[in-house]
Amino acid sequence: MSKAPSNGRPSVSWLQVAVALLGALAVGVVLVPVGFLIARAVIQADIGAALSSPFVLKSIQLSLITSSVAVVVLIVIGTPAAFALARWSFPGRGLVDAIIDLPIVLPPVVGGLALLVALGRRGPLGEPLTAVGINVAFTTVAVVVAQIFVALPFYMRAAKAGFTSVDQRLEAISSTLGARPWRTFTRVTVPLALPSIVGGVVMAWARAMGEFGATIMFAGNVSGRTQTMPLAILEAMEADVDASIAIAVVLIAVSFAVLISFRVVARLGARSG
Amino acid sequence: MIVLAFEAAIGDFELAPKLEVPSGITVLFGPSGSGKTLTLEAVAGLLRPDSGQILAGDTPFFDSSMNLHVPPYERRIGYLVQEHALFPHLTVGDNVAYGVPDLPRDARKERTRQLLGSLGIGELVDRRPVEISGGQAQRVALARALAREPEVLLLDEPFAALDAATAGTLRRELRRLTQELNLTVLLVTHDLNEACQVGDRIAVMDSGRVLQVDAREEVARRPHSARVAALLGYSNVLRGKITNVNKGGQVQTSIGLLSVSELLELEGTQVDLAIRADRIVLGRGSSFFEDRSNVFEVKLVEESDLGVSRILHVRVCGTDTSRMGHVEIQMADDRYKQLDVNGRRDWYMHIPSEAIHVMAL
Repeated sequence: MSKAPSNGRPSVSWLQVAVALLGALAVGVVLVPVGFLIARAVIQADIGAALSSPFVLKSIQLSLITSSVAVVVLIVIGTPAAFALARWSFPGRGLVDAIIDLPIVLPPVVGGLALLVALGRRGPLGEPLTAVGINVAFTTVAVVVAQIFVALPFYMRAAKAGFTSVDQRLEAISSTLGARPWRTFTRVTVPLALPSIVGGVVMAWARAMGEFGATIMFAGNVSGRTQTMPLAILEAMEADVDASIAIAVVLIAVSFAVLISFRVVARLGARSG
Repeated sequence: MIVLAFEAAIGDFELAPKLEVPSGITVLFGPSGSGKTLTLEAVAGLLRPDSGQILAGDTPFFDSSMNLHVPPYERRIGYLVQEHALFPHLTVGDNVAYGVPDLPRDARKERTRQLLGSLGIGELVDRRPVEISGGQAQRVALARALAREPEVLLLDEPFAALDAATAGTLRRELRRLTQELNLTVLLVTHDLNEACQVGDRIAVMDSGRVLQVDAREEVARRPHSARVAALLGYSNVLRGKITNVNKGGQVQTSIGLLSVSELLELEGTQVDLAIRADRIVLGRGSSFFEDRSNVFEVKLVEESDLGVSRILHVRVCGTDTSRMGHVEIQMADDRYKQLDVNGRRDWYMHIPSEAIHVMAL
């Protein structure tokens, strides 16, 4: 055992110093590049000009619309499944759980390629769809599908955790108070799972906003139709670095706002829970 | 009136209670794991038995022969659990009004106000569950259960998480409300004191079965079996054989021959005797006792101090040193001081014949 401090001053151990240094390094890995990017944007790039160019505006608009649609679809298709995973036991539940996590470990480019193989014009699903006049690949719909693909685990994880955390005795009490299952679900289960669900929505939305690899594979990079902000950053790099920096800063601002709102929601949830 | 007789297998556990619950408070008393809570859940509709029947008045809640299982939300019951009972995201008022969404807004407010008022917590209506104490929360939960005007209240260890004073107050209020509203209450507890304080009737449960149901005094004084006697806190249960029937009847036990006040009939029959520890009298000599029957010379082997009373373990002289010859005596602390028991080993004990209850095997 080490000697106890005897002089009353708070002693700083080598371990604490090491932890502080490594921690600073970890924070620095994130903060330093982002800081320089923002600094350069402020000093050199003309953000005002960039934001008024139709090329940039279109990408911002497309990103906001597609990611919002993707999240709404996720809520509709993901919530019942998250509930089932949290509450029901059925054969293959572990497998379903693992499949849902797949997009986290899969490189997005591979996800995009998979979508293209399945839904492309010659694909097993794409061909019949094309026959009835529906093209998915290289359209705005493809952007949304790619975003749903990559953001799904983020929403499902959070919603499932939310439903798992709800005390089932409260649901039992609700039913003894005359509430039918749907009323119990909407008045007890969902409100109590809501902080987690909202957190999942925010994370999924942020992931959809930042989506790049699957989108460029499956939807292409067409301004106004499939060119979201991350794709616009890439294209702008070829002609005008300042424009791409300007878009990047807007993307950072949006992501940061999302992160802050996530923290606020989580804190409010903790307070009322 | 609830009538239940059902069977349910939960893993290895076999639940098979039979019970009639008239109006008033019936306590379902038993050790942990005896199936009390599961029985209550079956009445509430949260557990579906495998077979049998559960009736509430004339309404069947469950009947396996008709393949009938009324879901909990269609049973008119109030159900209360030990803790975490309130909806944390709703105010106290909204918790109480939760079960009556179909009432017009004004009527709902009025009922909430009146119920909270009658339980002495009217001022809490706008508070959140996290902001009130455990005792207040149980009052709110009770008000919420009563808001639907149920005829049947099911209470699962409702006071177990509360301090003794609060629990005592709430027990009295429960008795008052039960009378005022003519409720049928089934209350689960493993606490013998609570069972005796609050119950009009006590149903003793063990290993998934109801062993005995009777009025509280009857169960306390006349347990049907050695197991019930042990559960009800009789520390002395002796096995014996009936003898001397022609001379009024006595029982030959491990500590010797005992005279009893209850009628004995069949010579040679084996019986169990339950003797209350607090009814046994200790004295310095055999001449100390007016009644010379059931007097034994004993040695004090162990004593413990419970504060207001003392527990003394004595061994009857002439018996071997095994537990068979041991008897537990409980006496008030002032009696203990009066006798100056402290350290003295040699005593005589008298077991009044009325203190002995005879049970068939």
